[in-house]
Amino acid sequence: MRRTAVAVALLLAVAASAAGAALGGRSSQPKLTVFAAASLTDVFPKIAPRDRYSFGGSNALATQIEQGLPADVFASANTKIPWQLHRMHLVTRPVNFTANKLCIIVAKGNPLHIRANRTLERSGLRIVMAAAGVPAGDYTRTVLAKLGMSDLVDKAISQETDVREVLSKVVLGEADVGFVYATDAKTVAGQVGVVGLPERAQPTVVYAAAAVKASPHLKEAEAWIRQLLGGKAQRELRAAGFRPVPH
Amino acid sequence: MSPGRLVAQLSNPVVTDALVVSLKTSAIAQALVLLLGTPAAYLLATRRFPGRSLAIVLVELPLALPPAVAGIGLLAAFGRLGLLGGTLNALGVRLGLTQVAVVLAVAFVAGPFYLRQAIAAFETVDPDVVGASRTLGAGRGRTFFRVVLPLARSGLAAGEALAFARGLGEFGATIMFAGSLQGVTQTLPLAIYTEFDENFTAALAMSAVLVVVSAALLVALRLTLQWQPSRPTSRLLFAPSR
Repeated sequence: MRRTAVAVALLLAVAASAAGAALGGRSSQPKLTVFAAASLTDVFPKIAPRDRYSFGGSNALATQIEQGLPADVFASANTKIPWQLHRMHLVTRPVNFTANKLCIIVAKGNPLHIRANRTLERSGLRIVMAAAGVPAGDYTRTVLAKLGMSDLVDKAISQETDVREVLSKVVLGEADVGFVYATDAKTVAGQVGVVGLPERAQPTVVYAAAAVKASPHLKEAEAWIRQLLGGKAQRELRAAGFRPVPH
Repeated sequence: MSPGRLVAQLSNPVVTDALVVSLKTSAIAQALVLLLGTPAAYLLATRRFPGRSLAIVLVELPLALPPAVAGIGLLAAFGRLGLLGGTLNALGVRLGLTQVAVVLAVAFVAGPFYLRQAIAAFETVDPDVVGASRTLGAGRGRTFFRVVLPLARSGLAAGEALAFARGLGEFGATIMFAGSLQGVTQTLPLAIYTEFDENFTAALAMSAVLVVVSAALLVALRLTLQWQPSRPTSRLLFAPSR
């Protein structure tokens, strides 16, 4: 009985030290929790595969941060939301790290012959877009205003909570027309048709990231954001269809 | 965050629209569940047929499914690219992103809660009582409505309360299959999710509405059960004791 007890104690000690060594090794590079815009779903894990991600509408993520949900990094599809959080002293100074363009997606082959013009006002056309407050939704409203078709906002049959939901509705054939980022369309290339928007109608789409001040890994979070500006991250973003930050 | 500010939200069109959509779609969905579910539950409870176990598993399956999977299931069945999509499209019917889709999502997700309770409730009805009713001359229909239903009433009511509460809170399947449009498909849970970053007070007010409705349901159910206590039917007054 005593020998068994000693053996068990030894085993536990070995296991504990092994675990301690393993954890000690890992704690020098903590896994960060990144709250990021839905359009970054595919590219961020390519840049930093080890970290934890929560993707969604940038405004919903911002509210979660406001309400105290644990996040280390916040990456938004616009600059407005991170600066709002910065003014509330919740995040560090936002850094612009990439840019994007908007486009229209339709069914493969564009059977309804949609163009970025009055064809969108055809009656019975099933249009989806992101809701107001979601960056993609605000950009869509800017595009439609520039095209002189703001009334289409009320004609939409669904106001989605993030841009990937808009994408899926068109891919699944539930909607005829969707307003998404060019990078989202690229992820389903071959499954949908893409209709470009005239340059004059394009809004300025700049993504900004900031470190959450309440994070226990603030230094690592700021380093993570600096890495977004580095060569590898910028190459991955470019490959996914993102654009350089305009000057 | 005073109660006054929350009550003031009841004049917010987002809140009232969501309430109307939720109540309307819930009412239709629950009517469907009751109309289709009650006879189905009775059959499953009282008849023994080959494949009965499989049928019960299929009926209870949505209970074990996460709502997101239910949403995918609905798209896979009724979506434009789904199993029935081609047929529906040919008939000029599009279900996705419509109010009908909300009703379907709610019925699919909440239905099994009612069915499971209903099957259990019907199983507690003593077949001898049913038999006695038939030998006394009552037809199948009359026996069902005058004998079986009253005896199973409390179990059915409990099942329906559960199904109603579950249906009212449905989010995942709805947002995937029906989308979100104020006044059309935006139910209370969807509106809460959309509003909580734009107007937290409105989101809080809608959450309060849901809590109040659920509490009222449970209270009503408790009271109904107290007034009509379920009596064990296995011991009959006029049949020989066993």
